[in-house]
Amino acid sequence: MPEYAHPDVLVSTDWVAQHLTDPKVRIVESDEDRALYVQGHVPGAVEIDWQTDLQDRVERDYIDREAFERLCSQRGISNDTTVVFYGDKNNWWACYAFWVFKLYGHEDCRIMNGGRKRWELDGRPWSSERVSYPSARYLARDQDGSIRALRDEVLKHCRAGKPLLDVRSPEEYRGERMHMPDYPNEGAVRGGHIPGAVNVPWPRNCSDDGTFKSAKELEKLYVKDLRMKRRSPTIAYCRIGERSSLTWFVLKYLLGFRNVRNYDGSWLEWGNCVRVPIAKGDEPGGTSAGPSTAVAASTDGDVRPAAGS
Amino acid sequence: MADVRSRIAEAVAEFEDLDGREKLELLVDYAAGLPPLSPRHQALKTAAEGRVHECQTPVFLWADSLPDGTAELVAEVAPEAPTVKGFVAILAAAMAGRPAAEAVDLPEDLLERIGLADVLGILRARGLRAITARVKRGFLQRP
Repeated sequence: MPEYAHPDVLVSTDWVAQHLTDPKVRIVESDEDRALYVQGHVPGAVEIDWQTDLQDRVERDYIDREAFERLCSQRGISNDTTVVFYGDKNNWWACYAFWVFKLYGHEDCRIMNGGRKRWELDGRPWSSERVSYPSARYLARDQDGSIRALRDEVLKHCRAGKPLLDVRSPEEYRGERMHMPDYPNEGAVRGGHIPGAVNVPWPRNCSDDGTFKSAKELEKLYVKDLRMKRRSPTIAYCRIGERSSLTWFVLKYLLGFRNVRNYDGSWLEWGNCVRVPIAKGDEPGGTSAGPSTAVAASTDGDVRPAAGS
Repeated sequence: MADVRSRIAEAVAEFEDLDGREKLELLVDYAAGLPPLSPRHQALKTAAEGRVHECQTPVFLWADSLPDGTAELVAEVAPEAPTVKGFVAILAAAMAGRPAAEAVDLPEDLLERIGLADVLGILRARGLRAITARVKRGFLQRP
């Protein structure tokens, strides 16, 4: 039976339960709904929020290196800490936080397979205690550009016909009109996908209990069926980069793709850019890319069309 | 009996002076207080009525009028979304037993007023604003 390429980055709920008080391990919860952590978290876990902790409050970017160092220090994370991420929504935000930690070069990051859902299904205890640790010393590296794709790089990648994965729902990929009453126009002003991108909705990576599918199933999906190559430079995107960080994690760590990047600007950037190519419809190349396109109204945190996202 | 406007003011006062963590704790308390659906609403839910389609989280809302003319906001929110659930519970508590027309006093910026907009971040705040709009519309645009 085939194994994951880097099996050590994935830990079970059982492993976490055995390391709750291990001083070398810090357990980090990252959720779509922050109140979940307050309501009950894995005992001893700290929270890192994708939006208020990891994003710069002024520019649309991540916090800078110094702010990242302060964040780690406050959470009692030092350079040699094993950081285990978990969360709601099949670990979207856990993978996102994992990716940001890798961006700043943190060595030992892991994901608790199945996240909150698996912990709950196992009947393990939740704690609502406030958690704090003595501040730690942390020195981050400069951002690792090899795992992050910026807009111009994606454009170049697209024009060169290199592999792109769109992990959103088929409706978002096709660029269908999604009228949402009461919404300010907060999403992308154009709908569709980046030309050439293949649509592999993120749920295809996951089982019903929130854990990742087996190496064999993932291998079949990406390598056998889609004929993707581990050596090919690959970029994944979604709407704001959280669902695609889950796919990034799967490709890089579970399947061993050597050069895969997450386009965190994702559709919320691309669908608002002037003069970038857009394809609509089911095909990677699109069926048409006329100017009278639909408005894909959707938000990114709490609210999104239910289908497939 | 206090009207919607003063109940909202009371809720806002309750959140005042709390730090971010305490605000979320209070919101979780509100969420726990949202009553389960009655058999009648359970049946409506099964018939897939009342679903708020804007919301990724399964949310069911009914802006009902009782025989005595007072309003009742009935809701079910998935347990994995305590923020939405707590927020809806604040709106439900404010409307309970009051005339539907007072829904006009449910503020669109309630999340800002209770100081949670910064704690939750801008993207999440938008979804909750949409819920307030939906509730108001439910009560105010009756046939």
